[in-house]
Amino acid sequence: MFGLAALTPILVRDAYFLDSLVLILLWGALSAAWNVAGGYAGQVSIGHASFFGIGAYSAALTVTRFGGGPWFGMLVGIVISIGAGFIIGFLSNRLKGPYFALSTIAFSQVLLIGVSRWRGFTSGAEGIPVPFRPGFATLGLGHVGWVYMALAVALVCYAVEVYLERSRVGYQLAGVREDEDAAEALGIPTRRLKVGAVTLSAALTSVCGSLWAQYVGFVDPTYVFSVDLSVRFALNTIIGGMGTALGPFLGSILITSLETYLRATFAGVKAGFTGIYLIIYGTALILVVRFVPDGLAGIAARVRVRRAHA
Amino acid sequence: MSDAAPILALDRVTKRFGGLTAVSGVSFRVEAREILGIIGPNGAGKTTLFNVISGYYRPESGRIHFAGHDVTGQPPHAICRLGLTRTFQLVKPFGNLSVIDNVMIGALTRLPTVSAARLDAERVVETCGLAAHAAGHARTLPIGLRKRLEVARALATRPRLLLLDEVMAGLNPTELAGMIELIRRLHADGLTLIVIEHIMAAMMRLAQRIVVLHHGETIAEGAPAAITQDRRVVDAYLGEEFVLAQA
Repeated sequence: MFGLAALTPILVRDAYFLDSLVLILLWGALSAAWNVAGGYAGQVSIGHASFFGIGAYSAALTVTRFGGGPWFGMLVGIVISIGAGFIIGFLSNRLKGPYFALSTIAFSQVLLIGVSRWRGFTSGAEGIPVPFRPGFATLGLGHVGWVYMALAVALVCYAVEVYLERSRVGYQLAGVREDEDAAEALGIPTRRLKVGAVTLSAALTSVCGSLWAQYVGFVDPTYVFSVDLSVRFALNTIIGGMGTALGPFLGSILITSLETYLRATFAGVKAGFTGIYLIIYGTALILVVRFVPDGLAGIAARVRVRRAHA
Repeated sequence: MSDAAPILALDRVTKRFGGLTAVSGVSFRVEAREILGIIGPNGAGKTTLFNVISGYYRPESGRIHFAGHDVTGQPPHAICRLGLTRTFQLVKPFGNLSVIDNVMIGALTRLPTVSAARLDAERVVETCGLAAHAAGHARTLPIGLRKRLEVARALATRPRLLLLDEVMAGLNPTELAGMIELIRRLHADGLTLIVIEHIMAAMMRLAQRIVVLHHGETIAEGAPAAITQDRRVVDAYLGEEFVLAQA
């Protein structure tokens, strides 16, 4: 699948198509990053836009306010997100399930309000245009370059997921997700692992946020810190298959291409788009939860089992 | 530490929940390679005592020493690493994982690699009679086998002292005989055990010494035969019928 994505720019030069591919890979990587906390560690966050926004603003502000490069901005974002992820991860030791999810929403809303109000530094709700300077060091890439950049970050997130499926710490994390008390009795430091997973997830999300800011060329608080965005990371993963390495990418392919298609189809219908987009999300979620609770990756696994039995 | 030192020593351990004293000044010792039984009516504080020993609750007062370490107030995972672990009365399988993975997660506490832990888990699964179910999801097991899985997973952490919280409750006679057999075999291999159980017939066959809890306090301690003759124990827990049936 990733190989196919790598070959595409050689075969297809259509900018519109390549743009869709970049978005599919980027949303896939973001969902995979969310999956590290939500799927593997069982810490379902609906505030991951916080880390996305931190990454986006760190890159944008480093470039526009301090004259630094976007790579350095990305690093700043990682450091801040690790700090924020540590706090959120620590919260998960006190708050379980829905209470944890609510506290993550609150966190992203606090950032949204903070960044919107701090006009002198962040330009507030107007947002920041990120200048385009061609070159790898300034992340001013063409469409083909962006496909490979998005592919690289997608592969990194995918590799982290695969590691969590096969490694010692991955199995221990599965124990934490299934039953924390039982995991503790088996000698697993559950609190440390949860904080670690959430922090790693936050750092990966932040990297994607920084890249996104450079790719789109504009950041504004109402989008990058929105609950919509947090929900998107979660939904891609739930639809694709939580706690599976490929799931977030399958979810992203389905949802992102649907959305791109709908945007193109209903572009003329002014008020219609927002509603239709949400209806599609809702319908997809209902269908998945009703018919394939383990997601698209679950279907693939079931087909494989059936073949093995045949 | 000499060989004569007990593997576990409780010194006036007290645990309160608001106004309720669930465990009140309990002291006892467990010698290495012993099977200690804990009995008492529902609500006597047996499971609370397990939760305190294994680190889930921090006692308000008193000390707990295990294998030469003061483990009072330490987290469960640290206590497990020292060699003390427990099973849960309400079983807590990792339901969406396979039986072998459940046990392997326990083995990973001692072993650094997944492949080594998997080999070790296969051995433990075999010992506990779960080999036929190793690949199945833990949530599909019937209760008898879930209780076995609790024991298997705990064993995989290679404990020196294992706390069993009603692993025989809800078993049919065949399963019960199998569980008693398993516990005896583990004991013969050198494991020290503390067993909470309501099934007195099983307790009489397993325990070398019994501690009786009532309202959070120790009301009797001694050999099984002596315990069943103890007036307070008969009044508080066993009842006259038990004494008559024994006679």
